[in-house]
Amino acid sequence: MTAAVTEPFGPLDPFAHPALFYRDEQEYLDGTLPFVHDGLDAGEPVAVAVPGKNLALIRDALGDAAGAVRLLDMREAGRNPGRIIPGVLRAFADAQPAGRRVRIIGEPVWAGRSDTEYPACAQHEALINAAFRGRTATIMCPYDVARLPEHMVADAYATHPAVIHPGSRTARDNDAYAPEDVVSRYNEPLAPVQDALTFSFVSDSLSHARHVAVGEGARLGLAGVKLDDLALATAELTTNSVVHGGGSGVLRVWAEDGYVVCEVRDEGQLADILAGRRPVPREQRGGRGVLLVNLIADLVRVHRSDTGTTVRCWFAR
Amino acid sequence: MPGLAVFPLAGQRGVRAAGEVGLTTRAIWEGVLEQAVREDDDVYYLELSGVTFVDVAGAGALAAAAGQLRDGRRFVVRRPPPALRRTLDLLWPGQTGIEVSTS
Repeated sequence: MTAAVTEPFGPLDPFAHPALFYRDEQEYLDGTLPFVHDGLDAGEPVAVAVPGKNLALIRDALGDAAGAVRLLDMREAGRNPGRIIPGVLRAFADAQPAGRRVRIIGEPVWAGRSDTEYPACAQHEALINAAFRGRTATIMCPYDVARLPEHMVADAYATHPAVIHPGSRTARDNDAYAPEDVVSRYNEPLAPVQDALTFSFVSDSLSHARHVAVGEGARLGLAGVKLDDLALATAELTTNSVVHGGGSGVLRVWAEDGYVVCEVRDEGQLADILAGRRPVPREQRGGRGVLLVNLIADLVRVHRSDTGTTVRCWFAR
Repeated sequence: MPGLAVFPLAGQRGVRAAGEVGLTTRAIWEGVLEQAVREDDDVYYLELSGVTFVDVAGAGALAAAAGQLRDGRRFVVRRPPPALRRTLDLLWPGQTGIEVSTS
């Protein structure tokens, strides 16, 4: 095992990961614009990945300077929190020249995130520390403390080693920083859903499992690319169960609000907390299944326990 | 259990495959690609209209094989299943040595 697995939350330096608390548009711009301008002035690569409305605020305020900044709508790029580290943050940081500090504003938590999404958001914020420790980067995460519920603000203290309070320009270290606690606290059990289509699979029935999922997904309203994505996710998760998860597993598919949900449950142990969140070097064979699932699903939730692993993914219909 | 059948292409260097590429057929697929890497022609055709699915490891084997082609050689992948295009686009963007053809 690598150090990244055994000691995922060691010292972060030179990585910095402050939360920026704001209450209105003015405080938002007061906190974010100097961060962007300081980076541009220093010749540092800058990216902004925030919800569309806030993205427009920053873009308008930057004017011509916006052209030098990578701008992403987090409601799209980060709809699945599990996608943000590999698909947004590392994708941008890894593409920059070595040695230069990379600056990113990332806002993965907003009022309106569902109760189903939020645990994945909190875990994502905690895991950024493990994914970026030792890297020359600053990721600043705005939190709308006027609109977000109290427990989400409390979690922001636990997932960020420093906090910038409204109206302040200075990041203050905070004693509540405890990212491991957040990862385990939001490792919530995913109780089996009644009335879901259920299929137990082994190696010889992997193909059958995929066809079952696709048939049910189509019946429940998935089509086109989304149905192809359901096929890919089912294939990767069930294959993982056969190869790494004890040789068998149980697939369930059902509809939930505007989504088709696909769940794979097995008796394997998924020890690597960053599984599926690291970009994989081109020359490495294998190890991309969960990464792909994170890239294509609208939400991925994972529950790890001593008796097994459950991965649940949502696809909008 | 669906397999993967492979036939030589008439008149062109390459193969036509039919079935699925997944855990149980991966060895057959990798064998096809290893053979293809050893060939000499500039273009090696992979006719995949009869392939209904390729998993991530199967796409990875194709990307790895393409990476081993000498300069000037390439795979032309004809009518692959949507899953293969999607996986290549997301995980191996800009991979040299692979030309996807929809006709």
